[in-house]
Amino acid sequence: MRIAVCIKRVPDMDVKFRIAGHAKGVDETGLKYDMADFDGYAVEAALQMMEKEGAGEVVVVSLGPDAVQETLRKALSMGATSAIQLKCDEVPFDGFAVASALASELGGATYDLIMFGRMSTDNANGVVGPMVAELLGLPVVTACSKLEIVAGRGTARRELEGGAEFVAFDLPAVVTIDEGIARPRYPSLKGIMAAKKKPLATKPANLPEPRLVIARMDLPPERKAGRIVGEGAAAVPELVRLLQQEAKVLA
Amino acid sequence: MASSNAVFLIILVLAAAVFSFSAQRLVRFLRLGQGTHRFDALPRRIVNLLTIGFGQTKILRDPVAGTLHALVFWGFVVLQLGAIEILVAGVVPAFSYADLLPVPVYRLFLLTQDVTSLAVLVAVSVLLYRRLVVKPRRLQGDQVHGGDAILILSLIAALMVTLLLTSGAERVTAARAPAIVQPFAAALAIVLSRMPDSLLSALHGVSWWSHALLILVFLNYLPYSKHLHVIVSLPNTFLSNTSGPGTIGTMKAMDLDAETEQFGASDVTHLSWKNLLDGYACTECGRCTAACPANMTGKPLSPRKIVINTRQRLSEVAPSLVGADDPMSALPMHTGPRDDTDSGARDRRLLDHYITEDELWACTSCRACVYECPVSIDQLEIINELRRNLVLTESRFPEEIQPAFESMERNGTPWAFPASDRAKWAEGLDIPTLAELLERNERADVLYWVGCMGSFDERAQKTTVAFARIMKHAGVRFAILGQEEACHGDPARRMGNEYLYQILAKQAIETLDRYRVTTIVTACPHCFHQIGNEFPQLGGHYEVIHHSTYIEQLLADGRIALADPVAQRLTVAYHDSCYLGRYNAIYDAPREVLRRSLPVVALVEPPRTRDRGLCCGAGGGRMFMEERIGERINVERKKELLATGADAIAVACPFCMTMLADAGKKLDSSVTVLDVAEVVAQHLAEGVTAVPRDVA
Amino acid sequence: MTHILAFAEQRGGALRKVALEAVSTARGLADGQDGEVHALLLGAPGIAAHAESLFEYGADVVLVVEHDGFAQYNAESASAFVADRIASGAYRAAIFAASAMGKDLAPRVAGKLKTALASDVTSLAREGDAYVVTHPTYTGKVIATARLLAKPALISVRPGAIPAIAKPRTGRVEKVAPVGDPAKSRVVVTETSTSDSKKLDLGDAPVIVSGGRGLKASEHFHLVEELADAFGNAAVGATRAVTDEGWRPHSDQIGQTGRVVSPDLYVAVGISGAIQHLAGMRTARTIVAINRDKDAPIFKVADYGIVGDVFEVLPVLTKAIREAKKAQG
Repeated sequence: MRIAVCIKRVPDMDVKFRIAGHAKGVDETGLKYDMADFDGYAVEAALQMMEKEGAGEVVVVSLGPDAVQETLRKALSMGATSAIQLKCDEVPFDGFAVASALASELGGATYDLIMFGRMSTDNANGVVGPMVAELLGLPVVTACSKLEIVAGRGTARRELEGGAEFVAFDLPAVVTIDEGIARPRYPSLKGIMAAKKKPLATKPANLPEPRLVIARMDLPPERKAGRIVGEGAAAVPELVRLLQQEAKVLA
Repeated sequence: MASSNAVFLIILVLAAAVFSFSAQRLVRFLRLGQGTHRFDALPRRIVNLLTIGFGQTKILRDPVAGTLHALVFWGFVVLQLGAIEILVAGVVPAFSYADLLPVPVYRLFLLTQDVTSLAVLVAVSVLLYRRLVVKPRRLQGDQVHGGDAILILSLIAALMVTLLLTSGAERVTAARAPAIVQPFAAALAIVLSRMPDSLLSALHGVSWWSHALLILVFLNYLPYSKHLHVIVSLPNTFLSNTSGPGTIGTMKAMDLDAETEQFGASDVTHLSWKNLLDGYACTECGRCTAACPANMTGKPLSPRKIVINTRQRLSEVAPSLVGADDPMSALPMHTGPRDDTDSGARDRRLLDHYITEDELWACTSCRACVYECPVSIDQLEIINELRRNLVLTESRFPEEIQPAFESMERNGTPWAFPASDRAKWAEGLDIPTLAELLERNERADVLYWVGCMGSFDERAQKTTVAFARIMKHAGVRFAILGQEEACHGDPARRMGNEYLYQILAKQAIETLDRYRVTTIVTACPHCFHQIGNEFPQLGGHYEVIHHSTYIEQLLADGRIALADPVAQRLTVAYHDSCYLGRYNAIYDAPREVLRRSLPVVALVEPPRTRDRGLCCGAGGGRMFMEERIGERINVERKKELLATGADAIAVACPFCMTMLADAGKKLDSSVTVLDVAEVVAQHLAEGVTAVPRDVA
Repeated sequence: MTHILAFAEQRGGALRKVALEAVSTARGLADGQDGEVHALLLGAPGIAAHAESLFEYGADVVLVVEHDGFAQYNAESASAFVADRIASGAYRAAIFAASAMGKDLAPRVAGKLKTALASDVTSLAREGDAYVVTHPTYTGKVIATARLLAKPALISVRPGAIPAIAKPRTGRVEKVAPVGDPAKSRVVVTETSTSDSKKLDLGDAPVIVSGGRGLKASEHFHLVEELADAFGNAAVGATRAVTDEGWRPHSDQIGQTGRVVSPDLYVAVGISGAIQHLAGMRTARTIVAINRDKDAPIFKVADYGIVGDVFEVLPVLTKAIREAKKAQG
């Protein structure tokens, strides 16, 4: 089985972001980058399928500047077979532009399965996977929390609001991966060493003109400092009021 | 006697040949291990040999068994001289030290032989009684070779009996010295003299032959017994790094650029020859296991088993690896039940088939095992090498430490906290960072390395602030790195992730060198040990001072003014941090700080204290793992500390702080846990500037 | 190019709240401009009965496609139909809900139309030729404002972000015939399951109520469970101390060595806030702490704290939450 997994390099989210001077993105100084969470699950799921089958190939693909090679190497160190960088200076915010570039690469090769994370953790648009499927005319199953491929046919569990559904489909297909499918493995040093020797191809990204463009980025209003609402059960009504009206978490 | 001399000569030569053959074989097995340099620091090695080896200092930490063993050991050393005489006389009947030595010296020799042989006989009898009747717990378990011990002890007893009988019979026919220099032989001679001559002669012959042959049998049995330690323990002590050469407790340096696919050890051939020699040196006394906090709380780890397994595995696989060089590969080996048929041996390995993951991850790296070993075995190095293999080669580890690894990569701390929060504790305290000082063109005398616990843990932050207040009070010009500080990677290293460790450590060294830092103070024993003792492996050389030592010095110099401690009557039990104590031999400084800061304080000690102190359970990365098996180490330790009846428990380590405070919650104890810096900071005379003693 | 299409989501034959939000959003865009709001409703025969509600929220036209194949959401046929409709109609914009269904549907439609999609927006406005939308990025830590230049403009709106406001219109229902066989799909649903709301996964639950050693004993944990139950959308978590004691299974542990969670609301009950625990929950959007010790570190990270005995506070809080939830319907 030949599997392509599209991965994105994103900053670690557990920081206080600052807005860059040009106001169209975050200030990148001091940020640590890694593979987006859901993409990590997808890579892990792909590797497990390849290992279970005992044969096949996992090709990781990433769009972006040369820095994405680091993310691709990480996937290689986890066990992916080869990597492709679709080179561009900047990853557009427009998911359709990204999907077009990916589709033009992926369409030229024969993959049994094309995998994505459900969404990237930075832009969180969650559109690229299904768009690539449509551009390639392939069936797509989004938000899979379980996935199994047996003899060219896939079954998956999809997470829905307040429930789940199980689906079956034929390959080739596109799937997007949700949390819970598999925890990404921690690359061994042996894997890291091996990854240095694995093939990583760089090709120009075939990007169309984006039609969804960032006008500016802003930080949401500062979170208010915590406070003691009161003592004992007498403080409960005020707490409930604050949860409803201030924090708005009782919807 | 000519023909019997010839027979004995032949036997002697044969015995020597067989022994030499066995010894060479063992050496060949050792050479399957990796190289390690063990002939540096000769003076220190010689001191170790004389104290731990000949002086039996470690053995004597157990007063009863220790004394008995020391008696047997020293007896053996003394009786070697007699044994040589006997063996030579077997070939050349006329040979006697009497002809070589001045009379007084010879008489002294006879006296020592006589008294020693009886003393050894008594000691061995008690030891046999201990093994057969008392059966101490530490001599059980781990598939130890109890029968082997009985056999060896009986053999020694037989050696002593035959020696005494020989001497006694000799005295009947020809006393070479007054009875006073051979009191026991002389007493025996009185009994024997009633025998008819023929019987006496026969008895002498049998005793002599039995004794001489037993010596040779003993010698040749050793290489196939755990009692090989009789031969190996002295060299092992000399070659060891556990008590001196190198820095104590420093993990083995590792070259990650080496062209290899094997990182760490999964089998004996990946270990160093010294690790393998440790296997030969172990006599399964179990002191390591008896001191192991993991073992005593019901975890599967037994440091003794780690060493025994190393020896077993070596015995199993070495013959097939040595191959045609080993003519004895078909013979059964001494180390136990496993067969050493070639096919099975090659399929197995030390990891998994002998030593399991659960054992390895149970280790708190407290070094109690290493410290207790009478023959300087390094159990911890074997554990660490196996952990390295698990993480670096196989990526196998308890799943809960993956977040710690990832957080170290992303946030520069094993805790899942953002790097930007690191210096939050210092907000509003007017503590400069090195970067700020550099901008102002100022310099600090010392860098305060706060550490991850001190930076992120709410409880440890109080210690951090307390120590900062003390330094301010004493007028120390110090600075912090602020957000430029990041984990040095020690937790990663202890958990086997040398790769991540080296990345972080090199970054830290780069930061420290950029600011030309020379002196560092820290309240964390792990930071203290790592930066001071292990950074040199990567080219970082700094003077690192633990805050207990630093505060003690400030107090001694009169730079801290303490409020009048009226009405302070506090009983404090100090808990030793492993990385401060056994790793760095700092036992007195924190106690001295407590004594000086509270003149009316009463320091009490739990039964296990100082170099015998029980670990809090956090070391070796255990802080970041679940304790799924057995009792909790921190609770066990807390019970001991509470049993002292102390009003407060003092610590000098943020990890000990957390573990003991947690255990307190579990035990519903209201006894507070305080850092030594907090004790001092509570009593600072605010507004009073201390006048340094040298100025006043 | 004047009308606005709003996709009206239904499940099991009932309109979803997000359908009204989508229509209301479309109404907001249409007001003061040319063009009508067309609500598109796919469903089993009889679904047209819901047209009234859509008029109520501002639809001028309700396009109804009744077919058994649309009884359940069929991604392939639905997206094909919607794309076809947009392509054939004079629409300047199409509004979807960024619900589970909408997140699946909208990008498919955009892909078929080979156009951009502004996904999961929290506000939108027309600005000249373009639509200006906001969308939370970087796990909500940065708000992106983007200009959507594509025509027609495809937009999915975050549920609850733009409230549905009643703006009754006198509209008309247009029945539309399906294209092809709506039941046909390359992806076949073999089974569906509705999850037991009490067994929400810690990773998914919008609210987590978590108990610590302050609960004193296993038999008091029901207080935490009852509070979670009152929320209706809450999962129950615990500290390491609690799972160590065996009061709760290890899988419930939140912290450095357990689960790391970021719910909208985290209620810490009898939890002191050791570093081990904080590492697992401090990124929750709102944190409530109830603890007897006013110096407990948990209050440093909490947005709202009540100092008090959990055994006294919890029953009262549970009752109050139940009532607040009931008042909302």
